[in-house]
Amino acid sequence: MSSPLLTSDLLKRLEQFQLLARRRSKSSAKGERTSRARGQSVEFADHRNYTHGDDLRYLDWNLFGRLDRLFLKLYEEERELPMTVFLDASESMAFGTPRKFDFARQLAAAIGYVALCGFDRVSIRAFPDNEEESAIRSAMRSVRGRKSALRFFQNITRLTASGMADFNETLRRGALEARQVGAAIVLSDFLDPAGFEEGLNTLVGRGFQVSAIQILAPEELEPETYGDLRLIDSETGAQTEVTFGRYRLDIYQRMVANFCGKLGEFCKSRGVAFFTASSATDLEEVLLKQLRKAEIWR
Amino acid sequence: MEMSFLSPAAFAFAAAIPVVIVFYLLKRKRVVRLVSSSLLWQKFLAETQASAPFQRLRHNWLLILQILMLALVVLALTRPFFSGDRKEGALYVAILDASASMQAIDVAPSRFEAAREEARDLVSSMKDRDQMIVLRAAANTHVLQSGTAEKSALRRAIDACEPSDSPTRLVEALKLARTLVQNRSFAEVHLFSDGAVDEIEGLQIADIPVVFHKIGERGDNLGVVQLDVKAHPDDPTRKAVFASVGNYSEQTRRAQLELRFNNRMLASRTLNVPGGTNAQEVFTVPQTEDGVFTVTLAAEDDLPVDNQASAVSLMPRPVKVLLATAGNRFLEKSLKSIPHIELNVVSSPVGDAAEYDVVVLDGVVPAVWPKANVLAINVARSGWFDAVGQVEYPAIVDVKATHALLRFVNFDTVDIAKSLQVKTPSWALPIVESQQTPLVLAGEFDRQSVVWVGFDTLESTWPLRIAYPIFMQNAVEWLNPALANAAELTVRSGEPFRLPLTEPVPGASVELPDGTTRELTLEEGAMEILFGDTARLGVYRMTAGTNSTPFCVNLLDSVESAIKPRETLEFGKYGTVAATGSKKANVEIWRWIAMAGLGVLLFEWWFYHRRTA
Repeated sequence: MSSPLLTSDLLKRLEQFQLLARRRSKSSAKGERTSRARGQSVEFADHRNYTHGDDLRYLDWNLFGRLDRLFLKLYEEERELPMTVFLDASESMAFGTPRKFDFARQLAAAIGYVALCGFDRVSIRAFPDNEEESAIRSAMRSVRGRKSALRFFQNITRLTASGMADFNETLRRGALEARQVGAAIVLSDFLDPAGFEEGLNTLVGRGFQVSAIQILAPEELEPETYGDLRLIDSETGAQTEVTFGRYRLDIYQRMVANFCGKLGEFCKSRGVAFFTASSATDLEEVLLKQLRKAEIWR
Repeated sequence: MEMSFLSPAAFAFAAAIPVVIVFYLLKRKRVVRLVSSSLLWQKFLAETQASAPFQRLRHNWLLILQILMLALVVLALTRPFFSGDRKEGALYVAILDASASMQAIDVAPSRFEAAREEARDLVSSMKDRDQMIVLRAAANTHVLQSGTAEKSALRRAIDACEPSDSPTRLVEALKLARTLVQNRSFAEVHLFSDGAVDEIEGLQIADIPVVFHKIGERGDNLGVVQLDVKAHPDDPTRKAVFASVGNYSEQTRRAQLELRFNNRMLASRTLNVPGGTNAQEVFTVPQTEDGVFTVTLAAEDDLPVDNQASAVSLMPRPVKVLLATAGNRFLEKSLKSIPHIELNVVSSPVGDAAEYDVVVLDGVVPAVWPKANVLAINVARSGWFDAVGQVEYPAIVDVKATHALLRFVNFDTVDIAKSLQVKTPSWALPIVESQQTPLVLAGEFDRQSVVWVGFDTLESTWPLRIAYPIFMQNAVEWLNPALANAAELTVRSGEPFRLPLTEPVPGASVELPDGTTRELTLEEGAMEILFGDTARLGVYRMTAGTNSTPFCVNLLDSVESAIKPRETLEFGKYGTVAATGSKKANVEIWRWIAMAGLGVLLFEWWFYHRRTA
């Protein structure tokens, strides 16, 4: 199985990973995750008194023999981990060499693949909405099972980045619409003038296990256009006049570090796993090292 | 110090400042670039503005620099200057002292160059309507540039001016300057000099504003200030060369004094001259032919030009004397005792006696007046005096003891029985006087040197005194045209050289000390050649017809040799001008401002590229 997004070699290695769930799954669907619910599995959880109507198959006969009382063995129910990937497909993601969106797509595909391999349900929520791609996008909701991977990859490949995103609104809606709370991964450049705090807060508040990966283009980290510039925002169309030269690069970089640092601090204070990646970073490096370090999977 | 502007109209150029602002706005047309998000850039702007102390100015640094530059350029165009508060055009008279002392090298490269520089500064500081006259003062005063406001012409005139080897005659220049500045409401005479000039007497300059620009620093100079060649009294084949060396510095100086005859070294002596004094040196040397004695002072000093002097010395020739007398043994004996004399005694001269050097008329009035110089005793030629009378026992009341005729002559014990009574004529100088009449006169009448003795010596006690033969010798020496010629073969620099001719010559030329030859044009029938271009020191040679006559131009001026610059100039009894320490000249500063403007331009360029590189 190969795709333009991820090499087969990489996919093979990804198959060994397992998404980490820091909380017990609340999903109602069966899966491979331990959950708070008691049910059928091999993992013993507890005993309880027998009551009428209980399945006799789960009686602990050994205990009955010793104590002459009926106890029911309870097992941990293994449930799935619903994984929601919030993929920023706004116009601003279409910039950069390599494109930020491509990088984000690859990350989303890799995370999705790991989830699919772990029998978890994956939803890719690309924002902002795009009428033309509504079919693709709805097909990427609730994908489950490893057999769906090929289709999943194809759909991701066909996504395009355009339009103006409302980060906070998207996350808020995603949080409210989710029937089962699970893991949420936000792939974005976090360059929304309205900020990101509210959206992340809503996700965390709803009980999601949130990870945030900020993707920035190399040009954004270290601009190479100097001179008297009139900069036009690709999303809002807002114009900013700036005179930029090499000697002010360190000021700029300090500012970017500051911005990312604030974002990281915000995430840390809410238990959100966070890191910033340049779109020029080696994908394997991010997948095999940084994501493990951020405890998104192991 | 108050600042004014030479061209305040240039402030109109300040109207260009709004233009720069417009340009600046146009210039801010920026490169349009689409970026993913302007969020980072807005944060960046906020960051840079927060860290800058001048938020508003930060945006406009380039504009401010440009306005500053423009303001400087406009300021430079207005040509601001310090001091000077006149409204109308002024007249300046710049007098450049071009005398020998201005060649002193105590200020590099020379005093004259320094004076020129200061004069140029004065030209630069002139306003548009100001006028200047440039005078060059040496032995003569030259107008180098008549009054003009054209600075280039003035600078040309100053640049073309050269120092001479002659002494200064400042009075002439100042008198000329005074007439030039008369009736001007604002006029200034700027004198660029070291003050090494003769005392300027009898010149009332209280009404002229003279600004004395003192040039020079010190007076470290040795100079030959006197040179005289005399026949040796005992040995006619030897000459006594008398030289006086002045030390005008404050320390004792050691110098080598060399004597040359026709460029042949004869003697060299080491002199130790204490500061501020003169040292005399006498060389006694043989002379076998006519030639030029030159003394050279080998010394390192600030003024080299006065370290040499020359004198023409001719071999003694016998003096031909004709004595016309009715019989006077005293006189005859006295004349005979004079060395190198060929005496011819007659009772009455025949013809004009042109072959004689001196004719002595002892109470004899000849039919034809002799052409030679005359010692007239008890003779009154018609035309010499207005009226002639007689006086008895005139008492001698006044004797000009310093006159050459009265050297070693004492009239104290001379009594006179009677004398002619005349009034002192304008052509003669009284040497011995009584109350009623002059007794001895010396002068020049009708191109003829005359010594007149107004009494019969036999009717006095004079022939019995030792003073009598001495006076006769002095008189013959004084009247001898050869000796007079020898004296005239030395002139001071700047003064004209005269060569009397016995007959007209078709042409003449002069060879200058530097080897160049100058042809002279003579008027037809001229009996005298006049050569005025004696600004350079040294030995000249004038060739007139077949005769070649050397003559020397010397400085021999202790005033010029005393090169220590003077702080004040004395004008007669009343006026004194002190050297201006600070230049009164207006100091223009537009160049500095223009340079500052250029600096700002460069800085702006650099600043702009630093921002956008």
